[in-house]
Amino acid sequence: MQMTVYQNLIRWFLLWVLGVLLLGGRLAFAGQSPAEVSQMLKAMADPAGAPFYPIVMQILQVLTWALHIVVVWTSVGGLLYAIYGFMRKEENHQRLARAMLELAKVSVSLAIVLGVAPLLFYQVIYDPLWYASANLSASWYVMFIVFLLIGYYLIWFAYFRRQNSTQAMVFSIGGVVFLLLVGFIIHAVNYQALYPEKWVEWYTSGGITMNHSGWNIYAFNIFRYLSLLVFPAVATTGIFMMLYAWYFGTRREEFPQEYINFSARLGSKLALYGGAGWIVFHILYILTVPSEWNAKGSIFTWLSVLGLLLCASIIFIAQKNPVRMAVTSLVGGVVAIITVAIFREYLRVASAGRFGYSIYEYKLNLEWLSPMLFFGTLLTGLVLYAYAWWMAYKAGRTPKGQVYQASETEHHLGEASVFVVVLWAVVFIGVGLIVIARNYL
Amino acid sequence: MDVLGFYPMWYVPAIGSASVIAIIATIHVLASHTSVGASILLAYLATKAHRENLPQIYDYIKRYLLGLLVFSYVSGSITGPGIWFSASVANPRGISALIHNFVWVWAAEWIWFVAEVTLVYILYYTLGRIDMKSWLRLAWTFAIGSWATMYIIVGILSFMLSPGHEKWFVSGNILDAFYNKNYFPHLLMRSSYMFAIAGTVGIAIASLMKKDLPEKVYKDIVRTLSFWGIGGLVFGTMFFGWYVSTLPQRSLVMLSGIVPKWYYALIFIILLVLLSHFMLTAIRPTVARFYMAYPIYLLIFFMGIYPEEKIRETIRKPYVAGEFVWVNQIIAKDVPAKGIHSEVPKIQQAGFLASNPFVPEGLKKITPDNEIMAGKAIAILQCSGCHNVTSSSGLRPFGQKFAGMTDKETVYSFLASYLTPQNHPPYMPYFVGKDEELRALSAYIADMISKGGRVSAKIEVPRQSFEAHK
Repeated sequence: MQMTVYQNLIRWFLLWVLGVLLLGGRLAFAGQSPAEVSQMLKAMADPAGAPFYPIVMQILQVLTWALHIVVVWTSVGGLLYAIYGFMRKEENHQRLARAMLELAKVSVSLAIVLGVAPLLFYQVIYDPLWYASANLSASWYVMFIVFLLIGYYLIWFAYFRRQNSTQAMVFSIGGVVFLLLVGFIIHAVNYQALYPEKWVEWYTSGGITMNHSGWNIYAFNIFRYLSLLVFPAVATTGIFMMLYAWYFGTRREEFPQEYINFSARLGSKLALYGGAGWIVFHILYILTVPSEWNAKGSIFTWLSVLGLLLCASIIFIAQKNPVRMAVTSLVGGVVAIITVAIFREYLRVASAGRFGYSIYEYKLNLEWLSPMLFFGTLLTGLVLYAYAWWMAYKAGRTPKGQVYQASETEHHLGEASVFVVVLWAVVFIGVGLIVIARNYL
Repeated sequence: MDVLGFYPMWYVPAIGSASVIAIIATIHVLASHTSVGASILLAYLATKAHRENLPQIYDYIKRYLLGLLVFSYVSGSITGPGIWFSASVANPRGISALIHNFVWVWAAEWIWFVAEVTLVYILYYTLGRIDMKSWLRLAWTFAIGSWATMYIIVGILSFMLSPGHEKWFVSGNILDAFYNKNYFPHLLMRSSYMFAIAGTVGIAIASLMKKDLPEKVYKDIVRTLSFWGIGGLVFGTMFFGWYVSTLPQRSLVMLSGIVPKWYYALIFIILLVLLSHFMLTAIRPTVARFYMAYPIYLLIFFMGIYPEEKIRETIRKPYVAGEFVWVNQIIAKDVPAKGIHSEVPKIQQAGFLASNPFVPEGLKKITPDNEIMAGKAIAILQCSGCHNVTSSSGLRPFGQKFAGMTDKETVYSFLASYLTPQNHPPYMPYFVGKDEELRALSAYIADMISKGGRVSAKIEVPRQSFEAHK
């Protein structure tokens, strides 16, 4: 009898928590008037203006964020599985745990470097949102760097101790805790940015102080956090395991078929369960978005749900033959990620739009020389990336103990990449000399 | 009331937010200069190994690459965005000014960052697994790509100090801003010193492998690193002289009078230590020891880069970006080409507190009730970029600067005559705001000094002021 009372209490408590979470950002302070917020946002936009069409910045921001978040997910997902794998006694789990730890280690590096671009483009067109929100939680924002450093070194410790599964597991747990913590910080900053009407109230605690210590987090949405970080991490790492099996499956003798099948099957299951959780929490997050943002009536919202469902369907089909379906699952994953990235951007547009802030009306100080530099560098980089990644791909498929000999075509590609890189440097320095001579001599 | 685009203020008592940036930046500079210098040194050593058929050098290269992965590509990679993150909260309007001018340039640098990070892993994992000709190509593109990141960031750093030329203010041409007067000396100075940094850690790594390498190969490696290190120091110091000759006048005033002399002493000593160490290892490579080289490498952090970063930050003042954004985030100069207008006249007219949307309404109109708190808010908003405004210790503290000044009229007379457009020192902005705000600031300072030079950083809006605006 007493047990039933406790169970009911717990049920009601959980329902209450769920209710509060669903209400999400609609609670808290009443906020400033729309006219005041509008004036503030416009004043905050940098007077230098954007140096290029904001829509181009926006597209680049969405695409580069999609690239960045994939490796964030494989960092977290790789570690989550590594922890589980190191706990299991079976050799297949142990071996796959080591591989996923390696994946996490490289992914963190890539996540850091790929994270630069979306933030850069974002800060040009949404500077009021980003700087205001970051400054509300300034100390946490700086601690992001400290926690990331600690987390990454713990991952390296795990990597160096990978032959000792207990130690590797302990360090991996530390690593993932810190990664989830930095995810929490960046999530809070992004989420606070969506509520400009509350910034002043938050910062001044309703008009009685100035919270300049930066040790405050004002808003958090568990569904957004789970749907943009935790569940996709599991799903993406699952797809990566399928690709791992596909890549090493046929070429390398040291990868027995039984291990390959194990990795692929486990990957497809993780992708399926992670994907299901992703869809559920994505929908729950949509339900918490305030109605005046019109998220439920937006095509971008439903496209993101469709993108996720399409990906889930492919993975469902892939359960029968995960190795053969690995690349198709990757394509499905790419579609899901891009639609989610567009939905995430739509929320910013919708939130800022409530106050008449539109990036398409951002002051423009158009100039062509620096975009030329960027796109020229991008072309140079693509030639170099193509060569470097191709050689890495070939080396990875070469049996252990053998040296891969590049073909003539590959040597030509190599020569071309050296040529374009040197050409870039010569042009960059040459232009500098001309400008200096013109201005100062 | 029209507001200006100020952001919520982040106040770090004692060390100041600028020191947070400096600490992160120092780690980054050490890691990144090690990495860029090493990328060229390792490509050179790999070429030497290939040409002279000394495959043992590859073992050394592999170990060095692992060292880079663990230090430069963790600490360096994270503290790079770390500088950006800390600057975003310490001075959002300063970093915003830079990003809005240089976004594409930074994006181009990002292309090289991605190349750097992917290539260092590829080089590490493919050494001995692909033919050497292909590997060497990757190594040299890694070297040039790494160096390219320096080509780019130096232009932005130089612009932060000064656009170098009045022309940019009217042309708005990115080339005039980027390739400014001290671009090349700055680039060449860093490009030289980086070999001394990479050479020092290279010797530390070599000394750990002494037993694993044939003596000739070991000596060859240590000598090569030592010669490159000596060259880096000699050329770096030469280019430093050229760099100083391109600094704006206000920076030269600060270099000679404001920058603490012990910064110079530290830098001079570390240069001598490095030179002596390289000369010793060049003459007798066998005396190289890890316990000697690695501590010297760490000393570069404390005695070389940290003072250098602090000096660079100091001589930039009173600006943080392009001689138009002050360290307290007020836009102080017109940039006609960009349609940017000085905010000083607006603030003088409307009031400093009233212009800031994140100041509580109860402090915007100064009354006898809220005068001290309004003054504290002004101190935090307008002075804390360079001063600890609530204590007597730490960064240029008010408690020391105003020691003994317990009368608000005395403080007011001093500030009113000192912080004017005509009389302000070249490294400090003048006071911007209404006279009653300067009086409030003076009242706060006098109150703080009379309480022993130390007060809580908390701002509390008095109840009456809060109620009046509720």
